[in-house]
Amino acid sequence: MSLIPHLLVVTMVFSASTTFAQGSSLVRSDRASSTSAVPAEVLVVLAKEEPGEIDPQLKKLTALRRPPFNSFRSMKILSRPKLDLVPGKDALVSLPNGRRVKLTLLRVMPDGRYKVKAAINRPDKSDYLPLLQVVASPGDPFFVAGQTYQGGTLIVGVIVDPKKTAQ
Amino acid sequence: MQSPKKEDEKLQMLFDGELEPEEEAAVRESLESSPEGMAQLHEWEELRKAMRGVSMDWVKEIDSDALFARIEADLSAPAISPERPKAEPPILHVIPRTRERRVWGAVATGFAVAAAIFLAVIAWPDSAVIPSADVRGSEVLEVDFGSNTGTIFEVEGGAGESLAVVWIDDGEVGRP
Repeated sequence: MSLIPHLLVVTMVFSASTTFAQGSSLVRSDRASSTSAVPAEVLVVLAKEEPGEIDPQLKKLTALRRPPFNSFRSMKILSRPKLDLVPGKDALVSLPNGRRVKLTLLRVMPDGRYKVKAAINRPDKSDYLPLLQVVASPGDPFFVAGQTYQGGTLIVGVIVDPKKTAQ
Repeated sequence: MQSPKKEDEKLQMLFDGELEPEEEAAVRESLESSPEGMAQLHEWEELRKAMRGVSMDWVKEIDSDALFARIEADLSAPAISPERPKAEPPILHVIPRTRERRVWGAVATGFAVAAAIFLAVIAWPDSAVIPSADVRGSEVLEVDFGSNTGTIFEVEGGAGESLAVVWIDDGEVGRP
């Protein structure tokens, strides 16, 4: 038998297997996205310009001592809910001002970062932050700040996969 | 006069020694009576000499003793078993079977490669999503402030990474 038919057969099987593998990869990806949940933590902080105490738990978050947060002289953790982000499913966290943070894990990037969609609104309204999409490394937070509450400003920090934090 | 074809036949028979003595003498006499006939006779004789020379050379090259020894050996060899003819058909099928075997070999090779790729893809994902040490922090991809005004900041984290801050003016308290 000549080499060409041999190579033809191998090529055909190779192509078929690659297609199958890609398909199964998608299936596996879908399966992973439907079953695996990523832990997350939402940090709700009330920051005020009046002198006061900085919550000791926030001392590790050095970012909160840098601009644009450096004008606040007191910070108090109001809540620190933990939740699981399931890809494609919304997770809700209530804020003390009646709004809700809606978080959705969109995907895990090839480099291991998380693509997350966030929105902060009153129920059934889009009065504050209709849409925010970020990519974040495991354990590295992103912040949404500016809501007024009890004479201060709410700082909402979202940390995806906080166990892997390096802070 | 005889036709050229007849003359050729006579000549051939003359040189093959197939003519009767009287007939041979008549043919020779006829040829030697004309220059064309003499030339034709000469050509045939030359051709005959050449053929004889070649034959002699060929005969000399044959090792008659070895040839006879081989014939004797073949004759004295044991008789061919009756199964021999039955064994030959598979020899005739060697080519298709080999081809079939090679085709299946190719298919098997292909499936082996396919299986290796499939297993590699299956086993890959956990290692593929290991975060790169160079990629740290967070960044804004898209933001819709709605009816509010807002600013995107980058603040340095504890490890020097850049962290995203979205600041939205809520009306009562402005940005610092």
